[in-house]
Amino acid sequence: MKQGETDMIMVVGGAHQGKRRFAKQLYPDIPWINGETCGEEEIFLCRGIYHFHEYIAERMREGADLSGFSERLYAKNPDIIIVTDEIGYGIVPMDLFQREYREKTGRICTELAERSEEVYRIICGIGMRIK
Amino acid sequence: MFRLITGGSGSGKSSYAERQILQFVKERMLQSPGRNLSKNFPCLYIATMKPCGEETQKKIGRHRGLRAGKGFETIECYQGIDKITLPQNSGVLLECISNLAANEFYEEDGTLRDRQETAEKILDGVRHILNQTDHLVVVTNEVSSDVWNYSYETQEYTALIGTVNQQLACMADKVTEVVYGIPVPVKG
Repeated sequence: MKQGETDMIMVVGGAHQGKRRFAKQLYPDIPWINGETCGEEEIFLCRGIYHFHEYIAERMREGADLSGFSERLYAKNPDIIIVTDEIGYGIVPMDLFQREYREKTGRICTELAERSEEVYRIICGIGMRIK
Repeated sequence: MFRLITGGSGSGKSSYAERQILQFVKERMLQSPGRNLSKNFPCLYIATMKPCGEETQKKIGRHRGLRAGKGFETIECYQGIDKITLPQNSGVLLECISNLAANEFYEEDGTLRDRQETAEKILDGVRHILNQTDHLVVVTNEVSSDVWNYSYETQEYTALIGTVNQQLACMADKVTEVVYGIPVPVKG
């Protein structure tokens, strides 16, 4: 699948920047799931997910295999709206799991952003379309 | 004009902010020919970093060096900017929200005050300054873009800065993120 064949949208930025509020203003009528608490399969069926980075962390804690995850996601749910923290924009953590999680999230988000139709980055509550 | 400048640590926010406020004052002077710039339009620097230990002293020294000879008058105010009285027609540079927030949020013994009340107090302080000047530049800090592996206190502090930044950006005419010295326009 090439870029332009999905309607995937990403809203990224640091914690507490107003990402979810921004996404809900863009899409006020869709149901959202919480990446912190949703099950592994729910992501393939939902319209929108927030705390997507927590979804990744949760799967990694469970020891799930995330190779090819972004491929699976846009094959099964090409119109998903993903709200995620931007991480890796600071000090490298001491803890090995944190380092791997940070790296993995970065790679997955980069792959998803590449396939996304629109990407917004939120800072101080203000959204900039970066793609 | 109210401008908000944000960015990571060591990104060049301060020198960019200084240039902006000096530019404001210069423009103001040009609009009022025949007047003495420094007398009629003082450039005030509100410093919020509390000197405690060698590291902060060093930072403060570096910032003082940056401002030296540029005509800034420094007011040290670690807390309670909502009580500050400023001379008329000043260009004001407030630096920075992350220090002010830490000073307002943490009690002497390290416990935290109420987050919402602290946010309101800081925002009231900025409104109070805006009532006294139409030339304000506020420097804040991006602290929330990494792995969320912090103590409760640090999480609360990060949330406080996030809330304050969102409100300030809402009030500001212009918002700029400085990335390694490059100003990236966010708003206005």
